[in-house]
Amino acid sequence: MSDAPVAPATEVPQEARDRARELGWEDGLIETALQSGHSLQEIWQALRGGVDGQRAKQFLAGGAMIRPDFAWMKVPTEWGIRARASDPQIGLTIGDLNVGTYGDIPDVWNNRSEIARGSYPSAHVEDMGYTIFTKALVWADNCVPLYEEAIRDRWVSATDLPWDTLEPLPDDIEKAVCQLMTEMSDRAYFEGALLSGWLPEISYGYLELKLFLSTVIYDVARHSEAFRKRALSNGGGLGLQAPTDYSRAAQEARSFPELADILFVQDSMLLTLFKNGDLFAQNSLERELYRLCARDRQRLMDYHIERLKHFLFKMPERREEQGLYFGKAEHRMAKDWNDRVVAEPLAILLAGGKDNIEAGERKLRELRRLQVQEYVDNLRKATFHRQNLNGRFKELLED
Amino acid sequence: MAAAPQAQPGLDLSWLNLYDNPTTATPGKKGMTLKEINLGRYGDSARGAGDMTYRMRGAVPRPGAQRFGPNYQSKSDVWSENCVMLYEEATQRQWSSARDIPWDTLEELPDEIERAMCQLCTMLTEVEFIAGDVPGQWMPFVSSQDFEAGLFLMSQIMDEARHTDVFRKRALANGGGLLAQGAGLGLRTLLEARDFTEMSVLMHVQAEGFVQSMFRMGELIGQTDADKRIFRMSAQDESRHLAFGVMHLKYVLDTEPERREEIHHYLDKAEGDAAGGGSGDVTFPPVFESLCILLGGGVDKFDEGVQKFLLLRKRQINEYVHRLEVAGLGDRRQRLGPLMAQFVDPA
Repeated sequence: MSDAPVAPATEVPQEARDRARELGWEDGLIETALQSGHSLQEIWQALRGGVDGQRAKQFLAGGAMIRPDFAWMKVPTEWGIRARASDPQIGLTIGDLNVGTYGDIPDVWNNRSEIARGSYPSAHVEDMGYTIFTKALVWADNCVPLYEEAIRDRWVSATDLPWDTLEPLPDDIEKAVCQLMTEMSDRAYFEGALLSGWLPEISYGYLELKLFLSTVIYDVARHSEAFRKRALSNGGGLGLQAPTDYSRAAQEARSFPELADILFVQDSMLLTLFKNGDLFAQNSLERELYRLCARDRQRLMDYHIERLKHFLFKMPERREEQGLYFGKAEHRMAKDWNDRVVAEPLAILLAGGKDNIEAGERKLRELRRLQVQEYVDNLRKATFHRQNLNGRFKELLED
Repeated sequence: MAAAPQAQPGLDLSWLNLYDNPTTATPGKKGMTLKEINLGRYGDSARGAGDMTYRMRGAVPRPGAQRFGPNYQSKSDVWSENCVMLYEEATQRQWSSARDIPWDTLEELPDEIERAMCQLCTMLTEVEFIAGDVPGQWMPFVSSQDFEAGLFLMSQIMDEARHTDVFRKRALANGGGLLAQGAGLGLRTLLEARDFTEMSVLMHVQAEGFVQSMFRMGELIGQTDADKRIFRMSAQDESRHLAFGVMHLKYVLDTEPERREEIHHYLDKAEGDAAGGGSGDVTFPPVFESLCILLGGGVDKFDEGVQKFLLLRKRQINEYVHRLEVAGLGDRRQRLGPLMAQFVDPA
């Protein structure tokens, strides 16, 4: 074998002895191998490779070299795949890989290990504890392109925002900006932590979805720190922490569809808010910040709509149940909106100062109406026609 | 700081008077990084008692804020002194597996070599898949008081997603395919951790350390420019994860030295588990064999490959021991499991 490093006094692990006994190695054969100059690592590799006692003994007696059988080379997976970039501008995407059997996203995934979809399963693996094995619960076809789009659209808060253009603002305006930033930073961080905790639940069958969720987690991490940076960079500070009613509803979700429904509500509302950021932005930095956040959140909303649509198509019997989750989320969101520390900063920013806050409240009501309208529209795109919209939301629409 | 506002009908505006010490961070050489805003009552050194409400550090507590379930209350449970810098570095060094790998430089390889590369990539895509799940599992337990550690973990989740995808892409881009499931038995140990520090020392320091040592031999393992670039770019990301883990371990040992023996216990288990290779195990037969073929340059040079594999293993173990020394766990050298101890150079 080799002149590989050998420790002066080699302790043989019990696991190696147990494996040797399992393979029919005579007592003392490991020591014989060590005395012959073979390293413990080589012996261990032979044991792991399934070399039985007879072959080991023959080899040590000067017999032929033991060669692995390279069984992994002969497993019956699909071979000869040469994925190519369908759009050279974007490059080789995960969508380009979904060819042949590798593109078969199963309705139900049966493997409980971390096996890569399309590879050959080993019987000798442990249950990794995944709980989501059903495509309809999590999947949306657009998560495949959305993942690559998220990577293409990445931005950096430290250098992509014009921090040096910030100028002092009137005290009430600056504090309103800071209060809004505090709330948004809280909400974004919480969403990232929450979604992160769901990743270990989802099996490899839905790999692309997990990849996309990873971009969402990274996006909201960036939003959280960008909002914090804005709060601390222009003579203000962090204000009162965000209300907890809505976020607790998301935290309380017992299944992925429930979680996704609850997040649908806030993610839609925030998308509309950021899309209309020019209405309350006080400078070019904030306009750019809201624009970038809106672009990120648009991808998330696209996923939500497609997932819900797919879910309702595959599991129509669960349509009514979803109304319960939307109802809960709407109720909690309406409660959060009703909080003066949520509403007043936006009203001040929309009005241009606290002296005009009544005008600001009217503008806020219009913005809230738009948020609800777009939320209902997003649900409709997902084929979910909300029958029992929250009363406060309904009032806004009827304004 | 003024008192928290009372809820009242009509206009409130008391939130306008929550604080009276304005903060103006200014951009540094690398822009407006977390370091620039880590100041005054918002800095990590001013961290107060933790809470379970997701209140970001420095924000004024809201009366009636609900708890969200248990999370770590002590900074030392999750903190790493370099997490502020590492997060910003992660944002600057994101790369795209679609565009930053020269896929068009892939060239047809001898069948056995292509199969070996595909087998290695099959294993790596599994490993990276778990490496994304593990920080995800711990995020809900990281207090917002230590949000920079949380931000870093979220950047790691993104990195691992990219690694999962790039190794899958490589397996399917050059006339091959995925082969045998091959990550071995070391991965579940990472999910089994029941403490953040246990997880971090096993995943960041041990598993990612082993993977990092392997990626840094990518010039020998990779067969094409694309392969080599994949290993280089991935190694760059792994360096951050590893640095977080080493500095977290150092922080724990500096601030809670009584945990030293407990940490040794986790390593005793991981180094002596059934696989023998610890987390990030490369001794599982399909991985060992494919690595030997790649390192040797073919099946007929398998023995040469074995020698290089042993050098790789030696490098992995010695770098692992060195990292533990940097973290303050130099006495690990005397306690390594036998399958690792055989490779350690004299102190």
